[in-house]
Amino acid sequence: MLKGAIEYAPSTFEERGAAVAFTTPLLSQTRVRRGDRSKLEVLIPSLSQGLGIYVVAWRAVPDMVSMTMHDRYLHDLIVKEDACSPYEIRRATLKAARRGLAGPQAAQAARRVLEEDDEQGTLTHYLLILAILKAVGLESPEMLKAGIDTDEGQRLTRQLMTRAAESLRMDATLLYARLADVAAVAAPVGLARSPRTGRLARGLNDLKSFRDSMTAWAQDVPSDAGPVAEFCAAVAQHSIDIGDTVLGDFHRRIEAIGPLLRDWDDAFIRVRGQAARMAWLLDGWSHITGAWEVAQGEDRQQQAATVNDLFRILPLLPRREAGRDFVEDAKQVKVVHRRSVRMLEDWRMGRMDIDAIRRIESVKAFAP
Amino acid sequence: MTGKADDAGREPAPADHLPGLESRLFDIPETKFIEVVRLLERVRDHPDVRQTFAAIRPRLIQVRPGRRPTLKRVLCMPFEDVLESVGGVDVPPGRIERRVIDPAWRLVTECGDEALIDQLDRQVQEMAPGNLNALRNVGRRLWPMAAKAIRQATQEMVQGAVVLLQGDEELRRQVLDVAAFLEIGLTVEALKDALTPKPLPALDDHHVAAIEQAVQAVARQSTGAVHHLLLAAASRLATPADLLAVLNDMDFGKARREQPAIFARLGGLMVTNLEERTARLDGPGDGQGGGQGGGQGGGKSRAAAAIAPEDAVAIAERLVASVNTTSAVMDFVAEPLYRKRLESVTAAVRAMLAGAVLDSAPDGILTAVPAPAVSGRPVPVNENAQLAAEDHARALRRCEGLADVLDLQKPLRDAMASMERGLTARADALLAQYSKTTGIPGDAETAEINLFYALRLLELIAGPAKADRLRTAIMAATGEFAEDGE
Repeated sequence: MLKGAIEYAPSTFEERGAAVAFTTPLLSQTRVRRGDRSKLEVLIPSLSQGLGIYVVAWRAVPDMVSMTMHDRYLHDLIVKEDACSPYEIRRATLKAARRGLAGPQAAQAARRVLEEDDEQGTLTHYLLILAILKAVGLESPEMLKAGIDTDEGQRLTRQLMTRAAESLRMDATLLYARLADVAAVAAPVGLARSPRTGRLARGLNDLKSFRDSMTAWAQDVPSDAGPVAEFCAAVAQHSIDIGDTVLGDFHRRIEAIGPLLRDWDDAFIRVRGQAARMAWLLDGWSHITGAWEVAQGEDRQQQAATVNDLFRILPLLPRREAGRDFVEDAKQVKVVHRRSVRMLEDWRMGRMDIDAIRRIESVKAFAP
Repeated sequence: MTGKADDAGREPAPADHLPGLESRLFDIPETKFIEVVRLLERVRDHPDVRQTFAAIRPRLIQVRPGRRPTLKRVLCMPFEDVLESVGGVDVPPGRIERRVIDPAWRLVTECGDEALIDQLDRQVQEMAPGNLNALRNVGRRLWPMAAKAIRQATQEMVQGAVVLLQGDEELRRQVLDVAAFLEIGLTVEALKDALTPKPLPALDDHHVAAIEQAVQAVARQSTGAVHHLLLAAASRLATPADLLAVLNDMDFGKARREQPAIFARLGGLMVTNLEERTARLDGPGDGQGGGQGGGQGGGKSRAAAAIAPEDAVAIAERLVASVNTTSAVMDFVAEPLYRKRLESVTAAVRAMLAGAVLDSAPDGILTAVPAPAVSGRPVPVNENAQLAAEDHARALRRCEGLADVLDLQKPLRDAMASMERGLTARADALLAQYSKTTGIPGDAETAEINLFYALRLLELIAGPAKADRLRTAIMAATGEFAEDGE
């Protein structure tokens, strides 16, 4: 059941696992992955004592840790849906929050985000239709004027898409199927020309703000947590570098919608891979950037405590993704971290710490 | 901000327009608010504008716009930390009331060096807001002159002072306190930099060293001024009584001989301060004065009900921390009266907590769980009420940390047990009704969310282990995870 603390140096994103937004402080942002014989297992970071990780069979977690009701529900949901990708975990997390189990504010935020996801899906679909029609020279002012959500607009769209399929030398049904696939992959990332930035592109922007804020904080605030903040900024920077490259390439490939639809087998696998890589790259960061935003309204001592808490759950890049050994670097920071961490908080002692739970729920309400 | 309010901002002088403006100044965006404040400041001496500033002070404190510097504001710098706050329970020890500012300022302008005041006033008018060093340079010349003017006017009771102070002995005493702070203005300003941020959560070694250094500097000037310096230091601490705990190990320099007397005076002041703070728990008009806090329920308990449960616990935690520190260090003084007075403070805090958190729990927590509707169709939970109920439940849990010192163990245990029973009964009633909603998608979801919200309250009150029984029952009723996923 418990494999004991191990050195944590994953090679791939999948091995690192997807972060789960639990509200039990001990489990907050622990990672779930598929382990031996495809069984789910959870990676629990050690309690500020070092960088070791406890690997626990997913099913055994409730027996080992006293979990909040929210987490018991989310745990069962993840088992039921056999979820372990960032996308699946996020949907499960939003579903649990929407039920009210992380409080009314988190429930409202989850409802809003689920609606935004739906709207983003529709918008992406619409923009991709326009891009396909433009690619085959079938732009129609009448269609735009009628609007895609009217009967007339939909009739015109169907007509034009049938002609576009002919032009692309494929069946209209196949064109629609591919369009749906591209939209599903592109909606979370967002299109370059979309009036609304996609969730992952927004996450990358948030990460840039986080990097700047952490760097400034490390310079302005004399604190033991300064080197820890610098390290957080450095890890963020590395993720940003990779993210910018992946996002740029993804947008270029989606822009060339004609070749994408024609050379489907290779090209689609590539864009799908890039979208997945963006999701993995930013996985776990939204809680961190959100927690730091929430901490901006607090005093510097609380901010230093937040920096130390964030260090414990920092999404270090896997070895194959980074040119730098962050695990090794983190060990150097660990010494400073130990000096300034708040060791005697209730949650570190295994007790239910209602204030710590509330802090996590506030972040969930701010950045669901 | 509306166009009308803009007009009012540009022409702030007409008195009959201002009362309406005050209320609107709480609703307008922050940038507009700052803009209006800047315009009003140009005519700030107009009585109606002064009244407007008093009315909008809560938002001024919140927004903290870089206020245009004035010479009067420079005068207040050395004692600004000991000025009483607007509303709230916390009062700095040895506090100076805001009503003292105007008479003190008039004594300075009427009895002080007129040429110097004019010169400094012109300098200040040309300064940019936030230029602290420049303001302190003005203060360096203003404060000694102002202190001398106030002392001469009050001690010799010149005609202006007699009219201004109107036989108000308390006002006279506080005006003299102002003079004392002004005499050590520069040292106080340097100490403020060392005791940052305000409120300072805990005193570290370097803070103590800075206070000690400032005490020695002031003692060289006048041993009598050390008391005021220590008041300025205490007012910057989250728990002012923490200062008492470090005083005995400090070297007071030239005031070494007076150290026991200074300690005793400051200790007494801390006790009085705690009494003042607990008296404020009664709200205005019901103050029983220092040292009376009997804590026998009644008025204090009724007044406490107006305080939000979370705020009540935070206030209680601060007061209890101060009582603990004060009582530990006052043992040195071996004065039984202090112990008795501190016991009264503790009793007052107990009564406040019982009224604001324990007695109000049934209304604050249980009513958030909707009773089953007669029609059988579930009524959605009011999420604002749920939010308030959760805050109340957390406050109740936080009382556990205070129960021993306040002798609240039994009432708290009873309140928690009563809440647990009440929530379980209400949740069971909702659960019994749930089966009627199956097959009606909207109703089923509403009923489930109601159950989950009740589950959360039970979890907050009784902990996850006890709440798990309800969770299992809910999951069995909904059948959501009936099939094993792995």
